[in-house]
Amino acid sequence: MLSPDRTTRIIQLIITGAFIALAGQLFNLQILQREKYAVQSEKNRSRRLRLEPPRGIIYDRSGTPLVENRPSYVLSVIPIEVRNNDKSLAFLAGLMQETPDEIKRRLARADNPFLPFKLRRDIDYGVLVQLEEHKLEYPGVTYEIESRRTYPAGLKSPHLFGYIGEISKSELQRRQEEDMLPGDLVGKKGFEAYYDRELRGQVGYKVVIVDAVGRMASDQTGSSEQAAKRGRDFYLALDANLQALADSLFADKRGGLVMVDTRDGGVLALCSKPDFDPEIFTGTLTNEDWQRLVNDPAKPLYDRMIQSSYPPGSTLKMVAATAALEERKANQETYFSCGGGVSFGDRVFSCWNKGGHGSLNLIDALKVSCNVYFYRLSLRLTVDEWALYASRYGLGKRTGIDLPAEEKGTLPDRAYLDHAFGKKGWTNGMMLNLGIGQGDLLVTPVQMVQYTTIIANKGRYYPLHLVHKIYDPRTQSFFRQKLAPRTVEGISDATYDIIREGMYRVVNSPGGTGHNSYLDDVVVAGKTGTAQNPHGEPHAWYVGFAPFDHPEVAICVLVENGGGGGATSGPIAGRLLRRYFDLQKKSPALAAAPKP
Amino acid sequence: MLDEIRNTRVDKVILICVLLFSLFSLLAVYSATHGSRVAAIHDNFYKQIIWVVAGLLLFFALTYVPLHIIFSLAYPLYGILLVMILGIDLVGSISGGAQRWFEVGGIKVQPSEFMKPVVVLTLARFLSPEHANPNRLKNLLIAFAIVLAPFVLVLKQPDLGTSLVYLSMVIPVLYWRGLSPFTIFVVVAPLFAFLASFNYYAFSAVILLISVVLYLSRRGKRVAWTVFVMNVFVGTLSPLVWSGLHGYQQQRILTFLGLVEDPRGVGYQIIQSMVAIGSGGIFGKGLLHGTQTQLRFLPAQHTDFIFSVLAEEWGFIGSLAVLALFFVFIMRAIKIAASSSYRFASLAAMGMATIFAFQAIVNLGMTMGIMPVTGVPLPFISYGGSAMLTNMTMAALLSNAITQRYF
Repeated sequence: MLSPDRTTRIIQLIITGAFIALAGQLFNLQILQREKYAVQSEKNRSRRLRLEPPRGIIYDRSGTPLVENRPSYVLSVIPIEVRNNDKSLAFLAGLMQETPDEIKRRLARADNPFLPFKLRRDIDYGVLVQLEEHKLEYPGVTYEIESRRTYPAGLKSPHLFGYIGEISKSELQRRQEEDMLPGDLVGKKGFEAYYDRELRGQVGYKVVIVDAVGRMASDQTGSSEQAAKRGRDFYLALDANLQALADSLFADKRGGLVMVDTRDGGVLALCSKPDFDPEIFTGTLTNEDWQRLVNDPAKPLYDRMIQSSYPPGSTLKMVAATAALEERKANQETYFSCGGGVSFGDRVFSCWNKGGHGSLNLIDALKVSCNVYFYRLSLRLTVDEWALYASRYGLGKRTGIDLPAEEKGTLPDRAYLDHAFGKKGWTNGMMLNLGIGQGDLLVTPVQMVQYTTIIANKGRYYPLHLVHKIYDPRTQSFFRQKLAPRTVEGISDATYDIIREGMYRVVNSPGGTGHNSYLDDVVVAGKTGTAQNPHGEPHAWYVGFAPFDHPEVAICVLVENGGGGGATSGPIAGRLLRRYFDLQKKSPALAAAPKP
Repeated sequence: MLDEIRNTRVDKVILICVLLFSLFSLLAVYSATHGSRVAAIHDNFYKQIIWVVAGLLLFFALTYVPLHIIFSLAYPLYGILLVMILGIDLVGSISGGAQRWFEVGGIKVQPSEFMKPVVVLTLARFLSPEHANPNRLKNLLIAFAIVLAPFVLVLKQPDLGTSLVYLSMVIPVLYWRGLSPFTIFVVVAPLFAFLASFNYYAFSAVILLISVVLYLSRRGKRVAWTVFVMNVFVGTLSPLVWSGLHGYQQQRILTFLGLVEDPRGVGYQIIQSMVAIGSGGIFGKGLLHGTQTQLRFLPAQHTDFIFSVLAEEWGFIGSLAVLALFFVFIMRAIKIAASSSYRFASLAAMGMATIFAFQAIVNLGMTMGIMPVTGVPLPFISYGGSAMLTNMTMAALLSNAITQRYF
């Protein structure tokens, strides 16, 4: 014994003390705090996986699918595991044909480095095979399946359907209560945006057991699931055949058309050109692509039918006619003489027909679209009188069609003119231009088709809408919104009869400007317009309806800078109307108005 | 009773402990590795079988080696290992990476691990002559030099854990040899001065305390002033030393002290380990049924955090058994140190007892969240060939220290 017992005892005491401390902490962790750690370990290993609901399908009126889903593969990575792993970065770089630095930079943008980050959407099959083969070698690299939109009928109509894309930060904020995550695909424009909530369905959850790197463990006992609820299917009033025809007729033009069922307000065709490929927005749109779309002088991102407003030209002459008739400033037999122009103040306002139309009444003035007649007629009207009827026809107000971002155009009433020119800055001479649909007046094509419907139905019309019925997969039942018809007050049937007669003659009488829309077997009525505008050639307009006695459809055609309305837009309207009645003859059920 | 033991060639308590350690190690390493999809980790269990068998063979073989041969081998082995560690340091500094081992025939050999018993034996040999009184400054300095040389080299690798193991046994061995408590105070005081130096008030308190002890010790003005000035010097210099530490070392210390939040770094490791241990409860989740282990939430679960595996799957009862086994083993080692007839054997036994105690306490404390993460493995249980052979060697030497009657 070299050392005294005291030394031994001190050392033993220290060791014993340390072991008592260890045992105490063990007791603390495993017995006192067991509950807390048990919960934490359970939380650790279970992870809630989101189950994306399939997006609702969009059908046309006869049940032809227009917008469907298809599976698409997404290359996604867990940034924290990949961004400092040169091997994985090199692998990804090879797959994506980018440099590792570029990938690193993109990973840095991930909001949460522990959650899968979608590096590339819609990868092709070759990339998928390589991923499947190698994903175990590169932790944190994986793929997911998501649902993408596809257009089985070949109708992409991006202005109508819109498109889906990654949810923006601001929208994420706005839709907090809806269980959204960054990277979720939502409707961005058009129909997809307007009905996004209904189309989207409800996210489901599956609780799975995962390991520390988030891989699903092989043993999945005890996992629970709450199914995703698929979105609602929409059956549109749209007819795929008419829409396709419209698309093809406008393939090389700027403009578009709207065709509606006058019996219920359902939209049969809605076409705006030029447009773009909606699928580029679902992938990862490059900045260059975006810049190209934004800066394109043809403005393919605008839906010309609802988001652009134009001077309507002569298609608006029925407003002045209505106002004059209703306000007893003129009647059917009011004659004016056209010598090719009229002086007002120190200016000469000329007719499109420099030779003059001679003496004509209201109906024939509509038929030949005589400007001089309408200058004179309009000068009998005050701006207030005219604006009242323009407003009754729905101008200057949104139609309320179920698409986002509708424009309301400009109706130059007293308030507008006072604001624009000052209270004393304008005179009733404004009516010269307004009466023939020029001046500060701006309208959208959907407003024009609604105005045409009102004339066709003599004041009774339904709100414009795309959706015919909705299928709810949860209740397995169809839902149809009851739309109440509206009636325009203050315009008598007698007035309608006169202007309808004028529109009849536009198409069916010799010398009418709209004979290009004439059909052999169905009586069409219409009105052409050739609207002066600051952007070059006049815009070519056509509005019309058919059959004359019991109207079923109304149409508005606009070709930007297309020249004469009768020459350019008339034939397009004729083709659409022809197709509509052919379809109806072949299969009356298809083209029949869905019962409102 | 001791005479009975001396008649046998192997100390039975040590032997039984070593066999139980081996069994626990194999069970734990199997559980920690069998689910891995990484082949290299999966194979570690089979390697560990080889290491355990090789270790046990080494254990029995070493019990035949007389103490005087071990005595005479101490210095040469110390020299050889020091050169090897120096060589690894140089290679490491050239290749620019952390380097702790070299490869022989595909096997990684870690000389710093083998240095553990050797530095103990070297110190024991130096202190064993009658004239090697540690209270004399020269002897004290040499004793420290013996330990500080490998300490510095291994710290530079960088391997903080292993280097601290060397350091851990200096004071106990010197104390065992008869170092006066005042000298221990003089040696240890700068450590406190260092630790307190980052806070003005703490540092002032420590310096005040040192002054009081110096005054009460009545050692004379020269000694007192020297010690005082030295501590002030250390305290003012340590912030410079701190900035010389590796970032991850600073991080570990800060995380341990709770000064930084780090959910996925060092703190994350400790949290996952505590979750594993705590969720084990009284009876544990059962072998191979620990979710933290099997789903690999535990960091380094077959090496540094092997105890968390045991604790999760075997519960409080199993964990207590492991603790008890270490306690019995270490107490036995201290008993051997106190009972050995030879100063060399006694000092060596005390050194090894300290090394085992230090490693066990630091490692277990780390897994339970009451000690910093320093990278110290759990003796006998953690996966590792060099460590297993080293521990078996030390166990054999402990046994020899009590069973061999002739030097």
